Amino acid sequence: MLKYLKAALLTATIAAVAAPAFAGDPEEGAKVFRKCAACHSIGEGAKSRVGPELNELLGRTAGTVDGFKYSAAMVAAGEGGMVWDEQTLTHFLVKPKDLVKGTKMAFAGLRKSTDVANVIAYLKTFSEGAAEAPAEGEAAASGGTEVAMAEKPAAAADAPLPDHEGVFGLGRLATDDEVAAWDMDVRPDGLGLPVGKGTVADGEVLFTENCAVCHGDFGEGVGRWPVLAGGQDTLTDDRPVKTIGSYWPYLSTVYDYVRRAMPFGNARSLSDDDVYAITAYLLYLNDIVTDEDFELSNENFTDIHLPNEANFKEDDRAQEPQYAEKKEPCMKDCKPGPVEITMTARVLDVTPDSDEENTGGGID
Amino acid sequence: MSKQSRENLDKKAASRRRFLQAGIAGGATLAAAATARAAGDPAITEVQDWNRYLGDGVDAAPYGQPSEFEAHVVRRDVPWLTADPVSSINFTPLHDLDGIITPNGVCFERHHGGTAIIDPAEHRLMINGLVDKQLVFTMDDLKRFPRENRVYFLECAANSGMEWRGAQLNGCQFTHGMVHCVVYTGVPLKYLLEEAGVKTNGKWVLAEGADAAAMTRSIPMEKALEDCLVAFKMNGEALRPEQGYPIRLCVPGWEGNMWVKWLRRIEVGDEPWAQREETSKYTDLLPDGTARRHTWVMDVKSVITSPSPQAPITHGRGRTVISGLAWSGNGKVTRVDVSLDGGRNWQTARLDGPSLSKALHRFYFDFDWDGSPLLIQSRAMDEAGFIQPTKNELRAVRGTNSIYHNNGIQTWHVKGDGVVENVEVS
Ligand code: HEC
Ligand code: HEC
Repeated sequence: MLKYLKAALLTATIAAVAAPAFAGDPEEGAKVFRKCAACHSIGEGAKSRVGPELNELLGRTAGTVDGFKYSAAMVAAGEGGMVWDEQTLTHFLVKPKDLVKGTKMAFAGLRKSTDVANVIAYLKTFSEGAAEAPAEGEAAASGGTEVAMAEKPAAAADAPLPDHEGVFGLGRLATDDEVAAWDMDVRPDGLGLPVGKGTVADGEVLFTENCAVCHGDFGEGVGRWPVLAGGQDTLTDDRPVKTIGSYWPYLSTVYDYVRRAMPFGNARSLSDDDVYAITAYLLYLNDIVTDEDFELSNENFTDIHLPNEANFKEDDRAQEPQYAEKKEPCMKDCKPGPVEITMTARVLDVTPDSDEENTGGGID
Repeated sequence: MSKQSRENLDKKAASRRRFLQAGIAGGATLAAAATARAAGDPAITEVQDWNRYLGDGVDAAPYGQPSEFEAHVVRRDVPWLTADPVSSINFTPLHDLDGIITPNGVCFERHHGGTAIIDPAEHRLMINGLVDKQLVFTMDDLKRFPRENRVYFLECAANSGMEWRGAQLNGCQFTHGMVHCVVYTGVPLKYLLEEAGVKTNGKWVLAEGADAAAMTRSIPMEKALEDCLVAFKMNGEALRPEQGYPIRLCVPGWEGNMWVKWLRRIEVGDEPWAQREETSKYTDLLPDGTARRHTWVMDVKSVITSPSPQAPITHGRGRTVISGLAWSGNGKVTRVDVSLDGGRNWQTARLDGPSLSKALHRFYFDFDWDGSPLLIQSRAMDEAGFIQPTKNELRAVRGTNSIYHNNGIQTWHVKGDGVVENVEVS
């Protein structure tokens, strides 16, 4: 019931596209901003990253941060006179692609109107020009709501009887729709693949729109974002490059993972066909298919094998020499002479405070 | 301003003055210190503010916080390890902790899509797949199953992963801080599976999180029935959001990534699912280009937490306590040995506190330090007979690119002035 109410409220917000109904709370907004922080930075020394830096945003013309490569759509919006204020931001943050058709901000939009108001309040604190001071009464009112919400009424009396026989008689049967909504995993043998299809050419368009900001146009990875293509024959190198083409054993993992977790910060936004197309394009970027017209579908999916499939083996650590013997450990004169220091952390000083480049191995 | 708050302010100012005085005293010459001692320690001879003025009343902190003097005991991160703070890690401040239980607020964090904030009233746990009945549980349902309390360590498989190529990070928080140990309260996964009725061909379970990464891992049915726990409390209170509130899976002794947080679904199947976190990640690349998969168990491991680079010896020569942690995914730790000379000679340390299977163990080694430089190490043994190997033994078989499961012996170089450094030895 609550869900439908929320949906109704959301629709109302979009339809009205008005300034938020209440003054936002910048502290709450800071929490909301974590959703934006994957792509934007703000505050002292903020630099443009995946998205432009957001200092002095209120009153700023859209698409005008120096050195940031905006979409043509955002630049056009700015040239058309669009300035970021409460109203434009509210609209943009609820439905980015609705206000700026063709924006490359790969973000689904905020669903709660309170989140929108709060994040705008937070953005304002970094915009000197913007008006401050929310009305006192409103702050007090929101304090009051919190107290009112603290206790929810208990509904012990009308707990339904179990609908199934079981050891404990707890829980209820899941409906088919519920299982379908969550059970989206795909196995190497193809179990779980939805019906659908997509071509390399379609995938290229989708990848460029949704993925390239982080993973690069060719899957080469922008900055420290993951590399998705290349690296073939590097697994025995000093610095191996582990990608879908060079390391991953199964194509099903690509489909499964992209559908469940990508694009980062906007998961579950792609259709099943979109994911087929993107998976086909990732095969193409990794030279596993070479034809741009290649179409991947649930029909031909399991025909495709990734090059490194055979090179995984089960855990055999217990057979390694240092473990296999399980001998009593040495206690006296275990090394011939005095022990020498061969390396100190300072040689590779990568303590968190230093700004030096990472010279060691990451964990990811 | 109320009288109460003015008094508080005055008290703060007074204690700041005292703090400054103490700083000056600390920098004073030995002679001055001697005079002071003759007259008596002002910490004793002077009436202290906290001895005269009233402290805060009971309502000052409805949820208590550590003393302001402990403000440095915090999780810390290493930004360059991962691409983005939303999919990143921070580390437990092991060097500042003691005993075997990690306080909730400093348990290290690793997530792949940020911390999901979930209203427990809207949270559901589904069991589907090869079961007689596919079921949905609410939090209220889960709390009606029989509960268990268990103390377990949780270690990220990548703990110490940065050290494969040699000594790198100068601090035990960073080299070993992807581990914590708390007491969990929860429902054995076995009960939930029994309620649904596992079909005879159900050999694996897939655990799935509700976060933006929808984290998934395959777990063999044997383990699921043996000791996996669906936990909703840690150290007596609700799980912290960053630890999976309202529920997480505990997979005792096995790598932390499998302990799926924000757990929303358990699927039963006849084969593993080969998810991203068990193919692209959490597989261990070997020098010949092959890789191990399903390396679940966390091997026997130990580290001296103090002294360590962030916890130098400040008292000079004389009585000294070496304190450390040991753990094993195979069960209990049976013995820890300590070396002061880089692994040439060893002495057995004292294990103290409860010794629980798949939990952190605390060890101490008390000795008189003569002020000469030391190369201190610890070496743990577990009840399955495994002995913690040296880093070089591991490198000899695994090379330096396997990222995960680095349980090699750690060496700290204690210099004559008590400063400690992360080193590698011959
Ligand atoms: C997945 C990355 C991503 C996320 C997450 C994201 N943004 Fe953006 N944002 C972008 C990109 C890329 C652009 C540039 C858009 C264009 O050029 O079309 C942008 C543009 C903007 C702009 C226009 C700035 C200008 O200079 O004209 C604003 C305002 C903005 N984002 C705010 C937000 C806020 C607030 C959030 C969080 C609620 C957010 N964004 C989340 C990537 C992101
Ligand atoms: C805002 C940046 C961003 C965008 C946009 C994005 N990704 Fe990612 N991607 C990431 C991050 C960060 C990770 C690693 C997540 C983790 O640590 O769990 C990742 C991981 C991946 C991986 C696994 C890499 C590996 O080696 O394990 C694949 C495959 C992937 N992304 C595909 C895509 C696709 C396809 C899209 C577009 C539909 C996309 N990503 C959009 C940031 C992004």
